[in-house]
Amino acid sequence: MEAELRAPEKQSATVERPLHLALGPPTVLAATGGQARLDKRISARKLNLLLLVSLAMAIVVATALGAVRLPISEVLRAFLHPLRAGEAGEIIFQLRLPRVLAAALVGAALSATGVLFQGLFRNPLADPFVLGTSGGAALGGAFGIFLIPSLSFAGFGATAVLAFCGSVLTMVLVWYLARASGRFAMETLLLAGFAIGTMLNAATVVFEMREEASNSGLRVLAAWLHGQLGIPTWSQVALLAPLVIIALVLGLPVAGRLNTLALGEEYAAQLGVSVVRVRVATVVLGSLLTAAAVSLGGLIGFVGLLVPHFLRILIGPNHVRLLLPAALGGATFLILADTFARTAFAPTEIPVGVFTAFLGGPAFLYLLNHRSRESRQ
Amino acid sequence: MTSTILEFRNVSFSYGPRLLLDRMSLSIETQEMVALVGPNGVGKTTMLKLVAGLLPPASGEILLQGKPLTAWPRRHLPRTVALVPQELEIPFNFHVEEIVAQGRVPHLPLFGGHTPADHRAVESAMEAVDVVGLRHRPYSELSGGERQRVKIAIGLAQQPKLMLLDEPTQHLDVGRQIELIALLRRLNQRGLTIVAAIHDLNLVAENFASIIMLTPAPEWIAGPAAEVLRPELLQRAFSVSQSALGRYCVSPDSDGITQVR
Repeated sequence: MEAELRAPEKQSATVERPLHLALGPPTVLAATGGQARLDKRISARKLNLLLLVSLAMAIVVATALGAVRLPISEVLRAFLHPLRAGEAGEIIFQLRLPRVLAAALVGAALSATGVLFQGLFRNPLADPFVLGTSGGAALGGAFGIFLIPSLSFAGFGATAVLAFCGSVLTMVLVWYLARASGRFAMETLLLAGFAIGTMLNAATVVFEMREEASNSGLRVLAAWLHGQLGIPTWSQVALLAPLVIIALVLGLPVAGRLNTLALGEEYAAQLGVSVVRVRVATVVLGSLLTAAAVSLGGLIGFVGLLVPHFLRILIGPNHVRLLLPAALGGATFLILADTFARTAFAPTEIPVGVFTAFLGGPAFLYLLNHRSRESRQ
Repeated sequence: MTSTILEFRNVSFSYGPRLLLDRMSLSIETQEMVALVGPNGVGKTTMLKLVAGLLPPASGEILLQGKPLTAWPRRHLPRTVALVPQELEIPFNFHVEEIVAQGRVPHLPLFGGHTPADHRAVESAMEAVDVVGLRHRPYSELSGGERQRVKIAIGLAQQPKLMLLDEPTQHLDVGRQIELIALLRRLNQRGLTIVAAIHDLNLVAENFASIIMLTPAPEWIAGPAAEVLRPELLQRAFSVSQSALGRYCVSPDSDGITQVR
């Protein structure tokens, strides 16, 4: 009698299943293609080549565009013979090129950080801006500028070190807040970023009241808050470029472990991966890159979300294959975005962070909606 | 000639104040096919995690191939023991092939890619569980049965001697359950020792020669199927009344009715 009672329930359970599960072996379906979505990918080598060419072209075009428009041929000539460039050379090497290279470095750093953090949190929304690490770096840097002002004009120094500390501390904080029973609660991840951002804003107000005299410090902080790329000195570029490149190279073996981490922390541990080591390495490298990006351009959001997401569609989610294209693509993307931001409304410049927010905000909301739908299923 | 692949010597484990395993001693021979049964929360998953080295026992010793687990280098352990977990959620659209390739991680040097031997191991693992046709499908889009086979393929890519499976038949319809058990039997015949936590006692009775049954007491009973699947023992393990155990055993977690014979 009990068995009879259970019968209707069982039936409804089988009806809910997709038809092919109840019929023949699934392999038959797979062999014929079935309803399977074809997940086509292009080769990473081709993509890297394409991105490298795009980056070179973006650098040349961005250097040519500005208040004084230079012919492309003149820019190329100046690149080839820097000492014979004359008046155009001054514009190119003193104003344009440092700015373009700064955009490239910031874009590469933010995008690569996005890949690393997304792998660590197993979440495509984990962008350094969204997580609050950019804000933490800016907050740390602000302490450097205002509390140790004697060092603040060296460009880097105490400011950069404190920015790095701010980024690491934020990550540690976000990590412990968001972690519940081995998983990351997305709400906490996002709210932590929101809280850090609010603290940064509040701190700015305090600094403003305290330091009426020190205008230059306030200007730097204001630029950081809006995500405004400045014109760095060549020594800043010379310092940050190797830093970003070294962090990327060190990121490659870490990215390989992040692929294993996609199976979950416990599974990765079972396969002999030292999860703690991967975690620490990811946070340190990501924070280095974030601090480098923030010290050049402040809070430029969503680059680390948009670029990796788009590239993942093209070449798949393998973090090792993704890291270099993400850096190249991020550099190209931010050069173009910054060129647009400084030329579109000339003579007014809009901060590039404002522009990326207009692009990335909707993309973020779309992904958020997409994900929460998935988790409801 | 048989040899002992896994041995428990007085192994105890507790979560906080709750004792899950109490001085458990048993041994499993090479190429045995063992079912791990018992009600939910009794410590089946814990026992498998202990063997995989994910948890340390509170006391006692676990020996793998005659060597204490504590003496195994962490990276060598997954080359001998593979744990196929109950749940596996993969973020992003990783392809089946990429997921199975993660089973090679214990064999890879710290800096270095896959060798031809690694590729062969991944290929043959996918062939063994018949997921070659799914290689370019994102794991997240697979059905329950397909996912289960991919999970086993990860374990096979590790080229282990002992495979532990945590509820491999859960969420599968009857047809897929039977297919899966047939797969486990084939792997077993090829020389793999298998320990699988399984809920359906019918599947257990028909396919597994040896059984380890855990009860909430906590106590454990290990031996040939005919000796373990006795009404009075099942009654102790699943805490059901004598009257309900005429022909059926009701496992409290699934609410399902299982014929034991």
